[in-house]
Amino acid sequence: MTDDNAIADAATALRDAYGGSFITPLRERLGTNDPVTAYAIQEHNTKHWIAEGRRLIGRKIGATSAAVQNMLGLDQPDYGMLFADMSYSDGEIIPVDKVQQPKVEGEVAFAIGQDLDSDQLTIADILASIDYAVAAIEIVGSRIENWNIKILDTIADNASAGLFVLGSQPRRLADFDPVLCGMVIEKGGEPISTGAGMACLGNPLTATLWLAKKMVEVGRPLKKGDLVMSGALGPLAAISAGDSIELRISGLGSVRAHF
Amino acid sequence: MAIDDLARTVDEAARTATEITQLAESHSLTVDEAYAIQALSMRQRFERGEKLIGMKMGLTSRAKMQQMGVSDVIWGRLTDAMRVEDGDAIEFEKFVHPRVEPEIAFILKRPLEGRVTLLEAMNAIEAVAPAMEIIDSRYRNFKFSLPDVIADNSSSSAFVLGPWNSPSTDISNLGMAMQINGRAVQIGSSAAILGHPGRSLAAASRLVAASGLRLEAGWIIMAGGATAAEKLLPGMAVRLDVERIGRTAFSVSSRAA
Repeated sequence: MTDDNAIADAATALRDAYGGSFITPLRERLGTNDPVTAYAIQEHNTKHWIAEGRRLIGRKIGATSAAVQNMLGLDQPDYGMLFADMSYSDGEIIPVDKVQQPKVEGEVAFAIGQDLDSDQLTIADILASIDYAVAAIEIVGSRIENWNIKILDTIADNASAGLFVLGSQPRRLADFDPVLCGMVIEKGGEPISTGAGMACLGNPLTATLWLAKKMVEVGRPLKKGDLVMSGALGPLAAISAGDSIELRISGLGSVRAHF
Repeated sequence: MAIDDLARTVDEAARTATEITQLAESHSLTVDEAYAIQALSMRQRFERGEKLIGMKMGLTSRAKMQQMGVSDVIWGRLTDAMRVEDGDAIEFEKFVHPRVEPEIAFILKRPLEGRVTLLEAMNAIEAVAPAMEIIDSRYRNFKFSLPDVIADNSSSSAFVLGPWNSPSTDISNLGMAMQINGRAVQIGSSAAILGHPGRSLAAASRLVAASGLRLEAGWIIMAGGATAAEKLLPGMAVRLDVERIGRTAFSVSSRAA
């Protein structure tokens, strides 16, 4: 385990990089790729940001596809924190310069309707806890230069979180097929990312159960009112200023973002 | 070598499941000449008793275009001998190096001719089905130029269809999951097929007109792959699930087994 000073230094370097600069991969500076160290860095910043007054509103799940896990060298997903200032609504203009090296992905977001604080959670708890599902665009970014990330870098960097855009048609779980729902992101009428629910760990609800258990384990259990961005249903697509995109998830309607 | 000879070469390769070198290595072929070779080679099959029952579209998704390194939509002919019953086995040795891709298929209730709108194309559909196409380039290492693949009937070799669904089904963004031996290998959406599979049908009508053809009532049109293709090997059980419209499956057997 890396010492507390090194963790604090890495956390500060990441926070400073939000201004628009980039940092070199932390795994090289710290000489480790250990997820425990990575989450300690993330948690350091989470505490800092909450103390600063940022409102914690939920979590994101990352690395939910086999392809991304292979790239990062992970055998499970990862998570990051969602704050109120990251949230945008359908059709808003997104200040793309707030996210470094932005890429978009299409996801199902779940609103949690009851506390998930048992240490023996099951999929039935997840099914019972979801108030609604909504289509969501996640705009991921990386404070690490050239997206040169491994496990430690992305987890420390709040799971490469950036901003997100929620749709305006909340649906019950019974109203769509979480496993086979089709997903497409279009730019200028052309598909730039396609996929389906199954691409997210086989089922976005399975990913959500993983997260809920993990959150109990680390002492930040999901609570009523929390939002969960459950993970990408298809490949990442790069975007830049001036782009307009539309995400459609079968059964969950559409959501637009202008950059 | 004349067009006739090249047509015989590709027909013989398909008939005997034998790989050949690319035609383009020794011949400079245009796309029109390539379609002429396809027509002549397929005529040999019809003379042997096979029936023309539809068309297939190729290179209709980004993934497919990237995989093949080309950017044009292409088409080929489907015969009754290419049809595999849902759930049946295909024999590995009847192919050179087969691959499978998830698709959407249409059956037409009336003809489509020349340039048509998406609405006209959709109105000509009798029913839609989940489908898988078994593609099998006859060229060595599955490598080819655009004229090569067109001359080789756009790699068409077999197809399997699931249940027919109402033409009013919204097919613009159906989730598609293809599994081999129970493991998901390709996950995508019908939206990857030119943004909407109906656009592929409209493109088919437009493109076959250049060869003096129209899409006929009763024909099956395979709209093109929604994801990259997967290599097939003996012993594989392949299954496609498509959101709302059902599933289709086949397996790969071997003479050696």
